[in-house]
Amino acid sequence: MTQKYFGGCDVGSTTGKAAILDETGTIVSTSIVPSEIDPEITSIKALEQACGQVADLESYKNLARIVGTGYGRNEVAFANENISEISCHAMGTFFCNKDIKTIVDIGGQDVKTIAIADDGSVLEFAMNDKCAAGTGRFLEAMSRIFRMDLDQFSMLSLNARKSIPVTAQCSVFAESEVISLLARKSPPEEVAAGIESAVSKRCFSLLKRIGMRPLVTVTGGCAKNQGLIKSLSKKINMEVTKLPVDPQIIGALGAAVFARRNGRG
Amino acid sequence: MKRFQELLESPQNDLVEQAVADGRIPIGYSCSFVPEAFLMADKLFPVRLHAPGIAGTEIADIYLSNFICTYARSLLEFALDDRFDQIQGWVFVPSCNHMQRLIDNLEYLKKPAFSHVLDVPRKVTGATIAWQAEELRTLAEKLSAHFGVDMSDDSLSKAIAEWNSFAEVIRSIGDLRKRPVPLITGTEFHKLIMASLVSPKNLILPNILDFRKEVEKRDGIGVFRARLMLAGSHLHNPEFIRVIESQGGLVVADHFCTGSIPGFMPVATNGDPIRTLAEHSFKKTLCPRMMEDFDRRLKAIIDTVKEYQVDGVVIEIIKFCDLWGVDSMPLVDALRKEGIPVLKLEREYSLGGEGQLRTRVQAFIESMGK
Repeated sequence: MTQKYFGGCDVGSTTGKAAILDETGTIVSTSIVPSEIDPEITSIKALEQACGQVADLESYKNLARIVGTGYGRNEVAFANENISEISCHAMGTFFCNKDIKTIVDIGGQDVKTIAIADDGSVLEFAMNDKCAAGTGRFLEAMSRIFRMDLDQFSMLSLNARKSIPVTAQCSVFAESEVISLLARKSPPEEVAAGIESAVSKRCFSLLKRIGMRPLVTVTGGCAKNQGLIKSLSKKINMEVTKLPVDPQIIGALGAAVFARRNGRG
Repeated sequence: MKRFQELLESPQNDLVEQAVADGRIPIGYSCSFVPEAFLMADKLFPVRLHAPGIAGTEIADIYLSNFICTYARSLLEFALDDRFDQIQGWVFVPSCNHMQRLIDNLEYLKKPAFSHVLDVPRKVTGATIAWQAEELRTLAEKLSAHFGVDMSDDSLSKAIAEWNSFAEVIRSIGDLRKRPVPLITGTEFHKLIMASLVSPKNLILPNILDFRKEVEKRDGIGVFRARLMLAGSHLHNPEFIRVIESQGGLVVADHFCTGSIPGFMPVATNGDPIRTLAEHSFKKTLCPRMMEDFDRRLKAIIDTVKEYQVDGVVIEIIKFCDLWGVDSMPLVDALRKEGIPVLKLEREYSLGGEGQLRTRVQAFIESMGK
């Protein structure tokens, strides 16, 4: 192996993500695996799956440098350093599109908004981590009520003619409210639109706290929820900028960028 | 350090029990406007009211709304759960509406044998010191009548001298944090401060002197990425600082009720002791309850940032704390205008959500380029 590779691993609460860059800064592989109970096992699985896609990379042990991020970052003992997911999402987004100044990261267990400086560092951030409302877990729970997987659920509201407001923001109470609405034969797509509107309102209030500047993008697994993106675009009165890579791997990508930056010397 | 940790595990530690067994009288208080030295006269000794290890406020929640801060609710919970059974007197200050509701409920639900509310003004004007002195005189008379303790000028002057010499020891340890390579972590220092606030001063002093000797022999305390100052609401649990420091942010300075800056400056020893204690209260306590005093609070933080070579300020606010909630908004802006990085954290009285706290602090340190 003559080429050096740099790995980033984002150990999230729901999934583990890995991204590998070569010396030129090209993304050579990425992976997403379900999270295990042990964050270290999650990170190994994610990295091994990503390494398996690179011909001359036998194992994650051959990576020149690894940066861990995500909630399980402190448990990834083999990583050379760990960097907060806030910095990594900023850097990953900056790597993809330098014009993006504001991020909404909707993860499995929290929602963050991040203002990016001109060099890709973090200017300001805000987090909602007090409850599950508005997070990936919340949307997962909602999709279960509709007996749909997340992909189906994310498309459901696109056909809604209006949204039925879901007043309860607590995940537990929202669940019973949604069950009641569906039992009363409310159109599912309109209820789904109401759920997504509630989540995007949460994001909007967090965006206001950091001073939203265009362009705005959404990262994390929930960025794939098309209904949510449509609802958020309406709230912020501008298009959400699409990223050229899977938005779910942005944290891992940012970690890999840091690994390359700090490991080239 | 282990000893200080032990003393913080119960609201009434073994030194309090020892002092009570010796016939001394513990007086509980919850606000820095109650002068500790005043409660050290004769057989009295002050105990800062805290609720270590509280896991929930189920009983207190029956009486206090969920919008009351968790410190007030935690104190009521412990009081109703007989966790303060050795405290023989309570001295409160209507510091904020939440504290007032705590006082009302305590009086209604479990009226203490002795309790007093010190009516501290919210503005510092020419009449303030005279008012505060009169309030302290009234309290002195009540304490004397109830407990038969000597609250004369001589007794108070002796208490002030004892407090001053204790405060000098604390300041000498606190000054070690100014060094480019501090000899004590913020967690250790906070354990020491909290232990000293909840224990009889004379009984804990030998432990503190031993600790000072140990600390002075150190070469350093390891590598940290940034020097932080912590400011905000009541902070009793040193574990909160430990989590911050686990991310590489060494807490070298503090600015909260149970901190040292400027809480341990000496009381003047000339003149009427009650008046000097009244003056001291307003000099050393920089609380957002005081109106038209924002500039002084801001200046104190900026001066501390310079003196302790602080890289960034963490403002921590107990959820629903009206005073710090309102004060922090202009404070964050004003500090940032001075070029000082600021992280504002909302928290509960007891430590929770360690992972989230770690992420915020780590991202803050990274955003400073450290």
